[in-house]
Amino acid sequence: MSERERPGAVGPGARADDGARAGTEDRTGTAGARPTATGTGPGRLLVAVYAIFALAAGARAGVQIGTRFSDAPLAYTLSAVAAVVYVLATVALARGGAASFRVAVAACSVELAGVLVVGTLSLIDSAAFPDATVWSGFGRGYGFVPLVLPVVGLLWLRRTARTGGGPHTGGGRPVGGG
Amino acid sequence: MTNVLAAAIIAVALVAAAHALVTTVRDRAMGLPHLIVLGVLEVLLVAQVVVGFVKIAGDEGPESPATFIGYMLGALLVPLAGAGWGVLERSRYGPGVIVVACLAVAVMVVRMRQIWDGTGV
Repeated sequence: MSERERPGAVGPGARADDGARAGTEDRTGTAGARPTATGTGPGRLLVAVYAIFALAAGARAGVQIGTRFSDAPLAYTLSAVAAVVYVLATVALARGGAASFRVAVAACSVELAGVLVVGTLSLIDSAAFPDATVWSGFGRGYGFVPLVLPVVGLLWLRRTARTGGGPHTGGGRPVGGG
Repeated sequence: MTNVLAAAIIAVALVAAAHALVTTVRDRAMGLPHLIVLGVLEVLLVAQVVVGFVKIAGDEGPESPATFIGYMLGALLVPLAGAGWGVLERSRYGPGVIVVACLAVAVMVVRMRQIWDGTGV
């Protein structure tokens, strides 16, 4: 019994029964007491740039699909997909936390794949892309920011995963391990 | 869209961006002056929307004004969102957000001019 009461004394709010289990859970994920803060500090700039691209891609897709969808359905559908990805990345990065972290990683990865694939295709088979998307020519129309942004995003996510996890999560002291 | 108004918006946006950049470099949080400059920018953008719609209604501007209107209304959101998002950050990255927002407004107005004149799609 005395072994169980000790972890309760270490961390305020930590239930004595969960002490041993919480210690192992903290290692597996970033879902500790402290959510990963991807939207603060330098991350706030990243979110701002993502928000602008969400707006740009969203407005572009809206105008293209609303006015002349039949001209280039593939390009305009991709514009819409790009817009959705940017919105997801913006919201996920801004919110932070474990679930948002996974969404942000997925969105940035899809974004990187999208800009590489669409960028390559738009140069090889320009007939399929008679009108530009955000990702055409590797984001040439937007100063290549769409190419750089997912890389910066993924690097930032990796960094926050490192600093936001480990030492700050409560109940890290090994309990009943030995 | 008028040249004078567009030039004024670009000038104010660049001044605001430079001002916020100095604050960022000096490692200070954003303050009231940043919000005031953003307010001036927003007023100018609202004026642009009014002038823009009046001119479009008077058969001026691009043949299909949808993209132009999209930019015009989208630009309205940027200073407001930038102010809201930047104020939350009590570090040098608050004014950093303002730099991003103001540069975005300047680029958007340049694009709007191109669309209005029909140069470069």
